[in-house]
Amino acid sequence: MRWVRNVLPPVLVGVAAIVLWELTVSLGRIAPFILPAPSAIWDELVAQRQNVWEAALASGENALIGLAAGAALGILAAMAASRFRPLTEVSIPFAAVLNALPIIALAPILNNMFESTSSIPRRLVTAIIVFFPIFVNTLRGLREVNPIHQELMHTYAASGWTFARKVRLPGALPYVFTGLRQASSLAVIAAVVAEYFGGLQTGLGSRITSAAAFTAYPRAWAFVVGACLLGLVFYLTTLVLERVAMPWRTRLIA
Amino acid sequence: MSAVVVSSVTKIFNKGRPDEVAALSDVDLTVGDGEFVSLIGPSGCGKSTLLRLIADLIPPTTGTVTVAGKGAGKARKEQAYGIAFQQAGLFEWRTVLRNVELPLELRGTAKAERRARAEQMLALVGLADFAGHYPAQLSGGMQQRVAIARALAVQPPLLLMDEPFGALDEMTRERLQSELLGICAKTGTSTVFVTHSISEAVFLSDRVVVMSARPGRITASITVDLPSRDDAGRQSPAFFDKITEVRQALRGTPVKAAP
Repeated sequence: MRWVRNVLPPVLVGVAAIVLWELTVSLGRIAPFILPAPSAIWDELVAQRQNVWEAALASGENALIGLAAGAALGILAAMAASRFRPLTEVSIPFAAVLNALPIIALAPILNNMFESTSSIPRRLVTAIIVFFPIFVNTLRGLREVNPIHQELMHTYAASGWTFARKVRLPGALPYVFTGLRQASSLAVIAAVVAEYFGGLQTGLGSRITSAAAFTAYPRAWAFVVGACLLGLVFYLTTLVLERVAMPWRTRLIA
Repeated sequence: MSAVVVSSVTKIFNKGRPDEVAALSDVDLTVGDGEFVSLIGPSGCGKSTLLRLIADLIPPTTGTVTVAGKGAGKARKEQAYGIAFQQAGLFEWRTVLRNVELPLELRGTAKAERRARAEQMLALVGLADFAGHYPAQLSGGMQQRVAIARALAVQPPLLLMDEPFGALDEMTRERLQSELLGICAKTGTSTVFVTHSISEAVFLSDRVVVMSARPGRITASITVDLPSRDDAGRQSPAFFDKITEVRQALRGTPVKAAP
């Protein structure tokens, strides 16, 4: 029953929004190149499902590799920064600068640095984008240690490394996953947007631009839906991982 | 040999700075083997500071602290005492059993042995059925019992407790007091117990040490000898007499010198 109460309202709102959209387009005689009806997008999605699936796989692979690399770097950098205090002061402004880098500015430059068939620039863009939320959140988690835990470990005569392994890291996990949750959706956005600037034509971003260039708007929207679903898959996977990694948290979204 | 000897200890925080605070001034305290001593006094009297000096969480400014015949620092490194605070301070990512195992783990005790010991300690505090639970699934009183089990896990000769029942309701508190006395009697542990509750101090202690604030000093040491440490003991005239005596000592009105 609780499941129904939690799931029903958003589903109802979603269905109502789609119905309203359909009615607005068909009754308001809005031209399909301004806004296609959901039914038209759906038809296109069904017709193109194989293409959408393959494009999603290509973009998803870039997003996943970029996310994994960015996350690993972010966590390692946060561990180093929390271990050596002077490094913290240096690294935070540095990370902020990295965060202020617009992907749109970065992608064309990185594209020119590698050959046109390379997927590396997209993965790099993704890794750079996800680095910041993971680094900042992990660092905060590593630095926020319950003072009682600190004293207890002191009374147990625990070494610095034992303390890091048994208290700091597990204590920081909720923060790491907060960062990963933000990063998971960002990774898909970054990977898709990075495709707008040339290179391989296999991913969702390239498909959206080429469909739009051919004024095939329902088809472009079908790929947008694909990108949206891909982002959701990344986000939900992170939520499941969070649940598995922290069985002591009784609620899924804290 | 005495469990704890504190001799002519002073503690000054922020020495030489404008916000200098004299927390303890010339304190002498001896806790005998198997003795239960409570420290009581108004807030700011340095009772927690004194406990933390014994635990070697902070160093004294002058004077010496000896635990089981050793310097406080050496005693800490040998885990010669168990400690519990007002907050249970359990590690929320560890199950109840693994929380109790932690001090043994850091001592390098073998896995099978520390599991057996932790289970035994949980049985002692009546939580054997909750070994697999996470702290967040337990009530405040149960968490505090886990913290006590954890403090007892290395079977230390000395137990240091800083208002461990302060955050609990009266009923839970009285039950845990009786449980604690039972455990101390069974294990022969010496205890230093910080509290601001007069009845708690009198009910638990062999001796109540009364402190006053600014600077923190020991003003009285009152020996308590109740006919029994149970509900009947709580109703006995001796219990109420001692409560009055401690209260008078806290207020600073003259009391008969303790033996």
